[in-house]
Amino acid sequence: MIPLKTEFPDNNTQMWPGMILRYSILLIAVTLLSACAVERGPAPPTVGNPAVQALVNTANAEVEQGRIPAAIATLERAQRIEPRNPVLWHELARLHLRQGNYQQAESLAARANSWAGDDKAMLAANWRLIGEARASRGDQAGALAALERAGEFEK
Amino acid sequence: MKFSFHIRIWVRLLLAALVAGLLGLAVFTFYLDARVRDEFEGRRFALPARVYARPLELFAGAQLSPDEFTRELQRLGYKEELQGNDPRRFQRFGDEFDLITPPFLFWDGPQDSQFLHLSFKDGRDATLVDSRDNSPVSLVRLDPEYIGGIYPGHNEDRVLVTQAEVPAFVVQGLVAVEDRKFYSHFGIDPRGIARAFLSTVTGSGVQGGSTLTQQLVKNFFLTPERTIKRKVTEALMAVLLERRYSKNDILETYINEIYLGQDQNRAIHGFGLAAQFYFDKRLIDLSLPEAALLVGMVKGPSYYDPHRHPDRALARRNVALAAMHQQNYITDEQYFKAFMAPLGVVGKPEMGTTRYPAFLDLVRRQLLSYYREEDLRSEGLRIYTTLDPPAQAAAESVLSARLAGLEEGSRQAGAEVGVETGGLEGAVIVADVQSGEVQALVGGRDPRYPGFNRAVDLTRPVGSLMKPAVYLTALARPAEYTLVSWLDDEPLIWNEHGRPPWEPRNYDRINHGQVPLRTALANSYNVATARLGSELGVRNVLDFAHRLGINRELPPFASSLLGAVDLSPLDVAQMYQVLGSGGFRAPLRAIREVLTADGKPLQHYALSVEQVVDPGPAYLLTAALQGVVREGTGRDLAKYLPPGLNPAGKTGTTDDFRDSWFAGYTGDRVAVVWVGYDDNRPGSFTGASGALPIWGELMARLHPEPLALPRPENVELVSIDPPSGLRADHACVGAEEIPFVRGSAPEDFAPCARSTGTIIKSWLHRLAD
Repeated sequence: MIPLKTEFPDNNTQMWPGMILRYSILLIAVTLLSACAVERGPAPPTVGNPAVQALVNTANAEVEQGRIPAAIATLERAQRIEPRNPVLWHELARLHLRQGNYQQAESLAARANSWAGDDKAMLAANWRLIGEARASRGDQAGALAALERAGEFEK
Repeated sequence: MKFSFHIRIWVRLLLAALVAGLLGLAVFTFYLDARVRDEFEGRRFALPARVYARPLELFAGAQLSPDEFTRELQRLGYKEELQGNDPRRFQRFGDEFDLITPPFLFWDGPQDSQFLHLSFKDGRDATLVDSRDNSPVSLVRLDPEYIGGIYPGHNEDRVLVTQAEVPAFVVQGLVAVEDRKFYSHFGIDPRGIARAFLSTVTGSGVQGGSTLTQQLVKNFFLTPERTIKRKVTEALMAVLLERRYSKNDILETYINEIYLGQDQNRAIHGFGLAAQFYFDKRLIDLSLPEAALLVGMVKGPSYYDPHRHPDRALARRNVALAAMHQQNYITDEQYFKAFMAPLGVVGKPEMGTTRYPAFLDLVRRQLLSYYREEDLRSEGLRIYTTLDPPAQAAAESVLSARLAGLEEGSRQAGAEVGVETGGLEGAVIVADVQSGEVQALVGGRDPRYPGFNRAVDLTRPVGSLMKPAVYLTALARPAEYTLVSWLDDEPLIWNEHGRPPWEPRNYDRINHGQVPLRTALANSYNVATARLGSELGVRNVLDFAHRLGINRELPPFASSLLGAVDLSPLDVAQMYQVLGSGGFRAPLRAIREVLTADGKPLQHYALSVEQVVDPGPAYLLTAALQGVVREGTGRDLAKYLPPGLNPAGKTGTTDDFRDSWFAGYTGDRVAVVWVGYDDNRPGSFTGASGALPIWGELMARLHPEPLALPRPENVELVSIDPPSGLRADHACVGAEEIPFVRGSAPEDFAPCARSTGTIIKSWLHRLAD
C-alpha cells in the first residue's frame, strides 16, 4: 500500500519535480483505491424481506421432511421475489446437489457467485459446492481447481 | 275340444311371443345401459386440462400500484363490495383494500380463503395484514387467472364448468322453462308426454314433453332422428341415466353439453362457452337477464340467435324470466329489473376458448414433449404457467396500437405512391431474463384470434440481431480482441468455395475506415462485422450461436454472420436471454407445474440454468450492447424509457425492410419485437423505426429494473482515450472507463496522456521490455 502521507522537503526550489512525482503517485493511489471501492456488482442483500424469510423457513422445513422437490419449488418462489439474492441461488444449488443433479448444482452455484459481490464466505461456499459437484461427476481435476478457488477466499 | 286346443296353441304362441319380446327388451335395455355408462362416463370424465396464469404474490414492499391491483382483481372476476364471508369480493377506499380470496389449490397444497387488508404507498404494497385480526401476513398468493383449457375433440369446444361455477339463475331457469318436474321425475315425465301427445293430436302442439334428461340424451348420444323407435330408445336411456347418476350430475353434464349456437364452423356447446361467446364473461359472472337469455335459447339456438334475431331473442328471454318469476324463483323486483335490461350480447363474438391463444399454444407444445395428446385432453390436469397478465396486456395493447399507427403513417405515404400498405403484422415475447419464464407472448396484431402464432412459428432472417454472436466470439478471445480493438470497415469481397463472391455493404453505404470494435457493433457496420467474422471463422461463430440457445441448423456460410438465417422471435428471445443473464442459459419455458385432476403434483419444471459463456466476455458484450442503445442504432430508445435504465439491445433490419426487429434486455426482462408482413413483402420500417418504439413503450410500462450486470472478478475498468484507443489519464479530455478482461487492456498510453506520472510509467514500461 502506498502511504498517503508525504513529507515535504525543506528546499522549495527543489520541490517541484518531487512534488509532482508525489502527487502523481498519490493520484494513482487514489484512483486504484477508488477502483477497489467500486462495486463489482450489487451488494449481496440480506435475507431481510420477511416474505423471502418465510419461504426459506418453509423450504428448510420441507427439507427436514425429506421433501426436496417441494423445497426446490419453494426456493424458486423466493427467487422470483428476490432474483439477485445469492443465498437463494446457493441453497438451490445445494438441493440439486443432494438430488444428484450435479451439472445443475454447479451452474446454480456459479450463478450464486455472480451475485455474491465481495462476500468471501459466499464465494468460498459456492466454490466448495462446485468442487463437490465436479467430484461427484468424476471430474477430479475440475474439483481440485474449484477447491483451490474456495481456498483463496477462505484466507 | 278342438276349439280349446286351438286356443291353447294361440295362448302358448302369444305367451312365447310375449316372453321373447320381453327378453328382447331386456337385452336391448342391457345394451342401452352399457352404452349409457360407457359414453356418459367417457365424456363426463374426459376433463380437459385447466391452465392458469401466474398467481400474484402479495407481501409488504411488493412493487404494485393500487390501480394495478384493482385491475388484477377485476381480471380475476372479483366483485366489488364485500358480502359477509363471500370469497372473490373486494372493497377499495382510496389506497386501502379489503378482500377475500377463494380457496385455491396450488402446487404446494391448498390455500384457504384469505381475508386481507392492504394499504398502498408510493407504488408499493406498504402493509399486508389479515383483516380479521390485523396480524401481519408475510406472503400470500392471489388465486391465478384461469386462462383456458386443452379440450377433448376437435370441432367441439367446451368451457367445462363444475356445479360451483354455475349461477343459481341458470339452474332455476332451466327447471322453470324446460322441465318443471326435473327433480321429481325418474327420467321421463309420463304426464308431460301425455300432455304433449294430446296437444300434438289436438293440433295445439306447443308442449315439448321432453325432460332435461331426455334432452341430454338426445344431445349427447344420438344423431337427429325423429322416429318412434328413436323416441322410445331415448326415453329408455333417460330412465337408465337417472338410475345411474344423480340429478346434480345429470344437470351438470346437461349444462356442459347442450347446444347453444354456432360460430361459423364452430359449434357452441355448454353454458360455459356460451357465456363467453355471447357475453365475453365467465358463466359464474352472468347476470339474471343474461342467464335467462341462454336458458331461453336452449329451445332453438338458431331461431333465437341474439346476433341475427335480437327481437326474438329478447322476447324469448322475457318468456324465460316470466316462467322463473311465476314459479317464484325470482322476486318481483328482480323480474322487472331483468325484464327492462337490454339484450347485452357482445358485438364481436370471441373466437377460441381462451383469451391468450398464442400463449396457450406454447403451453400445449411444451407439454407435448412430456405428455401424450390424449392425456392432455382427458385427464383433467391442472397446469400452472408463467404468464404474467399485466405484461401480456401491455404487450398486446402496445403492439396493436403501434402497428395501427405505423400502418396509418405508411398508408398516407403509400397512397401517394399507390402502394398497398394494409396487413402489417407483429409479434412480441417478454421473458424473465434470469429464469427464462415467458411472461407475455403475442402472436399477432389481433391477439384474441387463435391463428398463426408468429411469436413461435414465424421464421425470418434476423439480420443484425446475429451480430452479437460474432462479437461475442471475438470477445471470448481477449488476447486478440477487446472492446477498443480496431476493426477494418473498408470494402470487402468474400470468396467462399462454391459460392458466388459476397460483397456486404453498410446500411448507409459508407465505409468508415478503422473503427473500434464496440463502435462497429453500436452502429451495426456490416462490412467490419463480416471481416471480423472471416478472421474468427464462420463455424466458430455459429458454434457460439448454438451456445446461445439457437437449436436450428444454421447455414455454414458467411452470410449467416450478418443474419441470413431464419429464426423465430422465440429463438431470438432465447439468444438474448443468455446475453442478458451474463452467460447463463435458462431455457424459455411457459409452465411452472403440473398437477393431476385431484391435486397430486405431477411435474415441476425446475429453474434450470447452464453457464454457456464465460462471464468476462458476456459482460463485455452487454457493455457493447448498452452502447448500441446509448449512442448507436438504438439511441431512439431514450425517447421511451426513463434515464438511468441502461438497457442493452440490438436493432435488426432485413433487405428491402421486409423485417423490422428489436431485441434487448433490462435488469429483469428480455423482450423481442418483430414487425413485418406475413407475405414477406417489402416494408418501410427499420428495426429502429418499426420494432424499437414498440419495445420501448412496452418496457416503459413494466417497471423495468436498471441493467447493471455484476462485474466478474476477471474484468477490470480501464480509462481509455477513445480516439486513439489507448490508455488515458486525467490529462485526456473525453476519457472513458471501459471494461476489459484483466490483462487485455492496451498497455500504451494515448498521446494526450501527458502527466509526469504517466510519462514515467511508460518510460519504466519501455525499460522493462
